[in-house]
Amino acid sequence: MELTELKQELDQANYIYDDTLATTLYVALKLGRPLLIEGAAGVGKTEVAKVMAAALDRELVRMQCYEGLDESKALYEWNYQKQLLSIQVNMSSEDKDALTKSLFSDEYLLERPLLKSIRSRRPVVLLIDEIDKADEEFEAFLLELLSDMQVSIPEVGTIRANTVPFVVLTSNRARPLSEALRRRCAYLYIEYPDVEKELAILRAKLPHVDDRLCHQVALAVAKLRSSEAILKKPSIAESLDWAAALDALGIRELTPDALRQTAGFVLKNAEDLNVFDQEQEEDHACSCGHHDHHCGGHHHV
Amino acid sequence: MSDGGVYSEKLSYFSRMLRREGLSVGPQETADACEILTHVGLEDRESVKTALRTVYAKSREEQLTFDRVFDGFFISEEAMREQAKRQMEKEQQMAEARQEAREDLQGTGFSEQQKELYAAMSAEQRQRLRDIKKKFDKDLGRNNPGLYGNFIHSVFARAMLEQQMLMENAGADVAELDPELGLLYRDIGQFKDVEIPKAIHIIQDISRKINGELTAKRKNKAHSGKLDFRRTIRKGLETGGSLYRLKYRRKRQRKKHLVLLCDVSGSMMQFSEFALRFIQSLNQASDSSRVFLFSESVTEADAFSLQNMDLFRQFVRDQNIYGKGTDLGTALSHLCTAKPAPLGAATTLLILSDTKTIDQPRAIAALQEAKRQAGKVIWLNPIPESKWGYIRSVQVFSNVCTMVSCSTLHDLAQACKRLADS
Repeated sequence: MELTELKQELDQANYIYDDTLATTLYVALKLGRPLLIEGAAGVGKTEVAKVMAAALDRELVRMQCYEGLDESKALYEWNYQKQLLSIQVNMSSEDKDALTKSLFSDEYLLERPLLKSIRSRRPVVLLIDEIDKADEEFEAFLLELLSDMQVSIPEVGTIRANTVPFVVLTSNRARPLSEALRRRCAYLYIEYPDVEKELAILRAKLPHVDDRLCHQVALAVAKLRSSEAILKKPSIAESLDWAAALDALGIRELTPDALRQTAGFVLKNAEDLNVFDQEQEEDHACSCGHHDHHCGGHHHV
Repeated sequence: MSDGGVYSEKLSYFSRMLRREGLSVGPQETADACEILTHVGLEDRESVKTALRTVYAKSREEQLTFDRVFDGFFISEEAMREQAKRQMEKEQQMAEARQEAREDLQGTGFSEQQKELYAAMSAEQRQRLRDIKKKFDKDLGRNNPGLYGNFIHSVFARAMLEQQMLMENAGADVAELDPELGLLYRDIGQFKDVEIPKAIHIIQDISRKINGELTAKRKNKAHSGKLDFRRTIRKGLETGGSLYRLKYRRKRQRKKHLVLLCDVSGSMMQFSEFALRFIQSLNQASDSSRVFLFSESVTEADAFSLQNMDLFRQFVRDQNIYGKGTDLGTALSHLCTAKPAPLGAATTLLILSDTKTIDQPRAIAALQEAKRQAGKVIWLNPIPESKWGYIRSVQVFSNVCTMVSCSTLHDLAQACKRLADS
């Protein structure tokens, strides 16, 4: 697939992107490297994998990482209950070796996402989400899969990939990832979108919402993100929720009152809401010369 | 591409430059870069830059370095000539400045590195120092030549230190390009009020991460060798009663007892607040901790006053130790003689101070006594290590105990992690 074709596919998937993102995806795809995406929470890292699955017309296999994730949850597990039942049933069997061998066959193998993604007949997109939440041991275990596209199961041997999945790893940078893992990946850092891009996303995802309102939401969100005092910056999903909520409430303009009533959609902790309230009060007291109620309807975001 | 060999050679040279700047670039990356350029082409500079960045840079920090190196490497011919001309002029000026430095500092005992700093100063600054020297030169050899000599030496040393700080701050700009990284690498004492909540947020994030890592490490450490029957049987129920996997009792981990001695005088206040917050939030680092605050006198802080920054500041004011001078000797003597004794063989004493104190000999004697009583003494110093050579008190105290530089949140996190890990 060439860069222009990839762009067309991304367009068809209704995904808003810039040239940097498209080129990076193209590079990862061409080199057959896993793509490591970092960035703050809510900038659309996971969305990239979903969109790539749609663009490449592949199944998305998702693995959510968490502390304590191990091979049995990520790669494979033997179906112990079924194996024990089989032993009980075939207790009287003459050929003990054949029975032992059959216990470690596909019939008793429970595929987890990693194994599923490399044994699939059709190539898939494998999303390893929030890899920074998994332990370092798990990261080391991933190296074999990412570099050689194979995994080792002691009872079976080495399983090579039937098809090569397009692997997307995401990280919120909660902990630094190992150098070895980074070296095996193509790297992409996603920042919060600027006002134009945010507006384009709002327009694409919420076509029914008034364009002026979308513009005001994009501006307000950009201002909140640029504020040093706001600890949890609003994500793209939150700005979409906010615009949708304003629309559902029948609000056509983001006035100070509307802002105050719906701030909970975009700011999700008490400290940030307090800072927001204080800033609003300061704005009303000084910038327009009128008090809140006589403000003539213009907004102060 | 018309001549693949030329481009491979250029890319190989580019890879070497990136390696020199600290990026971990191997032959695989260079091969990938060559391959991807055959697909992307060389028509669009931005596409080439993005494609190469994807291949070479593997973190946000590396991306910033990559952009800088790329912009310096792949430039137009005209810009290259202009740059070479500027570079030549700069080198000529530098050679002249070095010659001046050699002449001006002849017989003064300054090292070659310090002469380089002198040469890097502006012409006006060098002239100002020459004027001072000239003014006092005629007094040398009169009543007290040693005194004038020392005075001139200290004036020059101070100017060089300022120059070094100036150059280091210029280097720190790269980190500041990224707002997320900026606070991590900036001097804690220079945080603005508006940045403090963000810094606290960063501390919480880092300490949660370190706690998680330590917990995981302890969890994975070897078991005690004793079988845990209850857990083994429970696990066995999953496999129809077969004891498929044996479970062992974990080793009991012994954590440390920490005693923190924090300087809260004037300039140290902000650093101590951050460092305390950091250490307190590392619940995996120690079993118990006692915190002593000192300036001219010393007082023990209770857990309530350390809950947040406002309470901490209020406590320091109430105890009448705010805005006073520093007397480390008194504080350490108090720790050594207090009953019940805060220090013991299982205790790690952490001193948070910039080493400035009155009555240094008494402070050194007290530090030696504290070191004898405590299991370990570690000094967290907010002064960057590069400046330690200029400050006598730092050299003296660092000879007595382990001293770690913690001028930034990043340094502080590293030091706390090492402390918890050891």
